[in-house]
Amino acid sequence: MSSTLVSPPLVRVKSLSCPQCGAPIELRGFAHTLNAVCPSCLSILDASTPEFQIRQVYDSKVRIEPKIPLGSRGTFHGVVYELIGFQQRTYESDGESFSWDEYLLFNPYKGFLYLSEYAGHWNVIRVQSRIPERITARGRVGWAIDGRRFAAFDSMQAETSYVIGEFPWKVWRGETAACEDFIAPPFMLSSETTPGETTWSLGEYWTGAQIWQAFKLTGSPPFTVGIFANQPSPHAGKTGSAWRMWLWFNVALFALMTIFNLTKANHQVFHDDYVYISGKSNDSSFVTPTFELTGANKNVAVRSHASVDNNWIYFNYALINDQTGQTYDFGREVSYYHDSDGSEGSRDDKVVIPDVPAGRYYLRVEPEMSRSAPSTRYEISVVRDVPIYSYFWIAAGLLLIPPIGSWFRSNQFEARRWRESDYKPVDSTALKIAGGIIEHLGDD
Amino acid sequence: MNNPLFLLYGMLLLGTTGYLEYTGKSFDRVNQQRVLPKSIRDNPGAYRSTYGGYSRYIGGK
Repeated sequence: MSSTLVSPPLVRVKSLSCPQCGAPIELRGFAHTLNAVCPSCLSILDASTPEFQIRQVYDSKVRIEPKIPLGSRGTFHGVVYELIGFQQRTYESDGESFSWDEYLLFNPYKGFLYLSEYAGHWNVIRVQSRIPERITARGRVGWAIDGRRFAAFDSMQAETSYVIGEFPWKVWRGETAACEDFIAPPFMLSSETTPGETTWSLGEYWTGAQIWQAFKLTGSPPFTVGIFANQPSPHAGKTGSAWRMWLWFNVALFALMTIFNLTKANHQVFHDDYVYISGKSNDSSFVTPTFELTGANKNVAVRSHASVDNNWIYFNYALINDQTGQTYDFGREVSYYHDSDGSEGSRDDKVVIPDVPAGRYYLRVEPEMSRSAPSTRYEISVVRDVPIYSYFWIAAGLLLIPPIGSWFRSNQFEARRWRESDYKPVDSTALKIAGGIIEHLGDD
Repeated sequence: MNNPLFLLYGMLLLGTTGYLEYTGKSFDRVNQQRVLPKSIRDNPGAYRSTYGGYSRYIGGK
C-alpha cells in the first residue's frame, strides 16, 4: 500500500482581531476559510472580507469544550492534518434531543478531512465529489460507490447548535440540513441536503483509541455506548469461516469413519436360533456352545432379534470366559408394539462390550417373558470388533455447536445495530401477536 | 485463522472419536465379574445375574 507522507506544514498563521470583542483570531485555513469563530466571544465572523464582518453574535453562556483541542495535529493515512474547526449538531427523535460532534481537519496540500463522534464512536470522513449510483439494498433505496453497496440506515433534520474555529463554508448556528445515512460497515455514506445543494461524504469507522493515537493524545478516549451504525461487527467473516471449517471437520470425520469401517474385523463368531415357550419350566436359562474371540482386547457386540409382536422379551446375558471364569453380565430388553397410531420399540437389540480379551467364551442366556406370552422365536449372534457409528453422529452433532454459536452471536450483533435504525427489520412474531390482540379487542 | 478455538475443539473432538472407536469403548451398561465357578457351564440355573429378577408392569388387574 502506498501512502503519501507529508510532514507537518509550516503554516503561516494569519492573525486578526475580532470586531465584536477585540480578541485576536488566528486563521490556519488560508484562503479556504470563509467563516471564523472568535474563540473569546464566539461571534461568527465573515473571513472572506478583509474587515471581518460579524455574521452572528453568540448570546448564550454555554461553552462546549471539544474533546480534541483546536490546533491539534493528527496523522490520518500517513498525512498530517491540523484541527481547525469544531461544530456540534443536534437532532430530535421521539421528542428527545441528540447531539454529535464534528471536527474539521485541514492539510494545505490534501485539503479537508472531517471527524465525527457520537457516544464514543468515531468516523473519519471525506467529502465526495462523485455522485453515488442509486441501487436497491435491503428492499429500500440505497447507494453504491467504489463497488460497496450502502443500505439506508437513518435520516434526520440536523441543526448546527455550536461552532468554534474556522470553516470553509458559511456556517451559522441554527443552520439546518436534511441528513441521511447509508451503511456498509465499516463505511458510512451520508448525504446532507440544504436548499439547492446535496453533499455526499464517505466515512470510515475508527475506534476512540485509533483517534487518540492519531493525535497522540494523553488519557483515554470517551467510552463507547451501544453499537454504532457502521461499527464493524467483531463476528464479521467468522460465521462463514466457521461453517467452512465445520464442513472440513465433517469430511475428516467421514474419512475416519470409513477407515474404521474398513479396518474393523466385524467378524461374527456365534449365531443361533431359539424358541421361547412360556410356562414350560421355571428355569429358562441355558448356555451356548463356546466360541473363540481372537486378537487383542477388542469390543464384542451381542445382537438379539426376537419375533415379538405387541410384546416384550428380556434376556439376562452373561458372556463368560471358559478358561478364566471372567464374566460380563448384562441385561437387554427387546420389545415391539404397534397399532394404528404407529409403532414403538424394535425387534432388534445390540449391546457392545468394550475391551474383551481374546479367549474361548460362551454365553449364559436367561430369557424372560410374561406368562401369557405366546411362543417366540429369537436369534442371538456375537460379533467381534464392531465399529460404533454413534460416536460419529455424536461428534457430528457436537461439531455444529461452534458455527451455530457464531451465527447466533453475529445475528445478535446485527439485530442490536439495526434496532437503532429508522428502518429496523419488522418482527413478524411481534406483528402477529399485536394483530391477534387487536383482533381480540375487536371481538369484545 | 478466524476460529482457532473451533480448530482446537474440532481436533479434540476428532481425536476423542478416533480414540473411542479405536479402543472400542462403549457406553453400554455391562457389569464385569471376575470370579465365577466353572460349574456354571453345567448348571446355568445356578448363576444369579446382576440384572436377574426382571419384572415389568404389563397392565391388567
